[in-house]
Amino acid sequence: MSNSTRSKLIRPSRRQFLHGTAALAAGTLAAPSIGRAQSKELYVNSWGGPWLEAATASLFDPFTAATGIKVNTVSPVSFAKLAAQVRTGVYEFDVTTLGGGDIIAANNAGLLEDIDSPYDGGLFQNGVASHAFSTVIAWRTDKYEEAPQNWADFWDVERFPGGRSLQRYAARVLPLALLADGVAMEDLYPLDIERAFAKLDEIKPHIRVWWTAGAQSTQILRDGEIDMIGIWHGRYFEAEDAGAPVAMTWNQSEVDRAYWVVAKNTPNMDAAKEFVKFATSPEPLAGFATLGNYGALNPAALEFVPDEAKPRMPTSPDNYANAFEQDMANWGGDPQEVALRFDEWLAT
Amino acid sequence: MNTFVRWLGYLFVIFIAAPLLVVVPMSFSTSSSLEFPPPGLSLQYYEKFFSDPAWLRPAWNSILIASATTILTMILVIPATFALVRHRFWGKGIANLMMMMPLAVPHIVMAVGYYSYFGELRLVHTHLGVILAHTCLSVPITFLVLSANLKGFDRTLEQAARSLGASPRRVFLHITLPILRPGLMISALFAFIQSFDETVVAIFISGRGAETLPRKMFDSIRQEADPVIAVVSTLLFVAVILGLLAPQIVKAVQSALGRSARNASE
Amino acid sequence: MMRRMTRLVDHQTIWPWLLLLPLAVYLLVFFAVPLIEVLKMSVTEPKPGLGNYQKVFTGALYGKVFLNTFGTATLVTVCCLIVGYPLAYLMSNTTPRRAMMILLLITMSFWTSFLVRTYAWMVLLGNNGPIIWLIEMIGIADPPGLLFTRFSSTLAMVHILAPYMIMNIYSVMKKIDPVLIRSAESMGARGGSLFRHIYLPLTAPGIANGAVLVFVICLGFYVTPVLLGSPREQMVAGLIGNQIEQFLAFGLGSAMAVVLLVITLIVLGIYHSRFGLDKLWG
Repeated sequence: MSNSTRSKLIRPSRRQFLHGTAALAAGTLAAPSIGRAQSKELYVNSWGGPWLEAATASLFDPFTAATGIKVNTVSPVSFAKLAAQVRTGVYEFDVTTLGGGDIIAANNAGLLEDIDSPYDGGLFQNGVASHAFSTVIAWRTDKYEEAPQNWADFWDVERFPGGRSLQRYAARVLPLALLADGVAMEDLYPLDIERAFAKLDEIKPHIRVWWTAGAQSTQILRDGEIDMIGIWHGRYFEAEDAGAPVAMTWNQSEVDRAYWVVAKNTPNMDAAKEFVKFATSPEPLAGFATLGNYGALNPAALEFVPDEAKPRMPTSPDNYANAFEQDMANWGGDPQEVALRFDEWLAT
Repeated sequence: MNTFVRWLGYLFVIFIAAPLLVVVPMSFSTSSSLEFPPPGLSLQYYEKFFSDPAWLRPAWNSILIASATTILTMILVIPATFALVRHRFWGKGIANLMMMMPLAVPHIVMAVGYYSYFGELRLVHTHLGVILAHTCLSVPITFLVLSANLKGFDRTLEQAARSLGASPRRVFLHITLPILRPGLMISALFAFIQSFDETVVAIFISGRGAETLPRKMFDSIRQEADPVIAVVSTLLFVAVILGLLAPQIVKAVQSALGRSARNASE
Repeated sequence: MMRRMTRLVDHQTIWPWLLLLPLAVYLLVFFAVPLIEVLKMSVTEPKPGLGNYQKVFTGALYGKVFLNTFGTATLVTVCCLIVGYPLAYLMSNTTPRRAMMILLLITMSFWTSFLVRTYAWMVLLGNNGPIIWLIEMIGIADPPGLLFTRFSSTLAMVHILAPYMIMNIYSVMKKIDPVLIRSAESMGARGGSLFRHIYLPLTAPGIANGAVLVFVICLGFYVTPVLLGSPREQMVAGLIGNQIEQFLAFGLGSAMAVVLLVITLIVLGIYHSRFGLDKLWG
């Protein structure tokens, strides 16, 4: 075969190639623009599980009904994702909730959109206070006959042998270590970081899982992958309601506040702000808190919370009496730096 | 010695088979936990999968992305393979190496690169971004399969057709293409599967509207070990079995059709 | 005549490159540039210099994780060999029908997504799973947790990567002439010596191929160690992901990625210089 015929032989495929590329490019480029056309959509960062159920029923669906804006959820909740969005300019979510540990850092780093408070005293560092949740001690009743009382017992692997689990989150875990080491709840802050790490060294070999997602903590407790866990109260009740042989104590429970925030410069800014206002208004928030067993932080919401929901709420007086609150303003170090150190400590 | 090694072999057959065997019953479980054997049987998680947009959307995205990746990969790789198999030229060794490079680079390294680079190009969380990345990763395997086919191609057939007066275009359409069709199909299938299964790059750059099924599964396993994963696994597993048995099925259908056609004519 | 010749030569060198051009450009833009981006970030983020590499090579954590990755990859490779060799032997020394069945099983396993197989091991090794149940049946009252340990992630990786090893060994083993074995046996070769003098040398290329593939894939493994492994025994890929996703430490993550890439390329380069890379996946 001569070369010219060979070249002719392959030319058709090249022509097809050009056509094909153009068509493909057109087709794939069209796909996202279809998404853009129906921009009445909001992406909310979701914690999943009972949080999502409560939020869907009390916040998302009513919000969609009231405004016509569709709510999609993205998980897991991640502070780093929020920062990555601003860096990359690609928004995975428009709205998220942050705990006290992250909100100061996020606001200092300029990750949060300025926002007006929908109710008096609700604004903190560009976040609107929504609800309180707790980190509590929970354990398997088929493993321990005697109930652990406090974080010192959690650390006591002689009296309570078995696998442990804590959240992979320095800001929440360090205070627990100090409590275990005998520091009184009222003397915790500012934290003695060195002492906390030294105490963490003791429990480290017994931590089977450093959980990173709420649902994961429920699963390992429910399935007995671990015997004792520091877990969010809502996640604990999820395991209890599933019929797992588990128990918990409100003693030395660690209360965190969750704030709704809007990601800086997000393309869906108006819808996002509208949603935050809606989610912290009395009735939706009361419904959310009741379904999810959270402590509503808008005082006006409390009158809509039925009494029978209160025993499971971290802020009801009986439970709150034995609790302590995270004090991020007086924390005792740069939480981001400590988080890095914590992660290195984990792996070594 | 001989029998010992054999028994060891059978033991390892069980090792290979066991994980494949647990997934299917798990998908029919009534329990929300990782309980095996399942305490009861139901279709509830199938119902959940087929009614939950949070699962259906990623599944659809994956099909879309894998299809587009396949087309794009084939468009790029077919001419390149012809060049590399049928021509001798300066720089061929380098070109060969270039085709294989995406196979040598760990996916996590590419994921970091795409996350940053596609971020600047505003391609993170878009279908197009994932397609562009997956196409790179599909190039080597597609090239390997296609070049193996092309190397085994008997070129005297083309020459014979040419000497009988067929135009090059006719030769390509009526000789080259039909003979290469099985090879093309298989290499396209490899490209499709490569994209459909790809997890690490997808974890970093697919999301929001363009989330792929593996990313959704990864998140779901990491977060809650949701039993719907077993359903997805079973469906993927059935797809693999169908894929592997497809040639046999086609043959069986053809012979059945052939037989009935013969019977009809008789 | 002379002119025709030059045209011919030009044509011969330019035409293949024209065919290659679209792909070459594509790989340049969408493969090489992102790679260079990683390289660039490793020396510019957060500030220009070699600080990230200094951290990777001197920080206790990073050294440990790299060592752990090497150790795990070696262990997984050896385990794959232990699993793969008897299986390949069984397949080449049984009835064709049985060999076919086993081959089908392995192909099925190979084509099943990493994630599916990882999830399956979670079920198998979980606290309510069949293996713990078996251990309890034997009479061990308080079985140790198997999930989220080095054991669980290693086991799952062996399972996921074993098909690469099996296929490679099987492809060379089935070519061994049975006559050769029989004549060796007739000359008194048994067990160990048969293995040493016949099987091992003849299957060595398959073992080398399989081992390099398993080792290299294992070095960069992300999914399975992250989902099944112990937090105390991270592998490099997981740590890179964590640096990027958790701490936005693009520079440090990139530096680790570059080191991982260089190690991978060295392993493949050694293989290439001895056997030729094209044989590895062929």
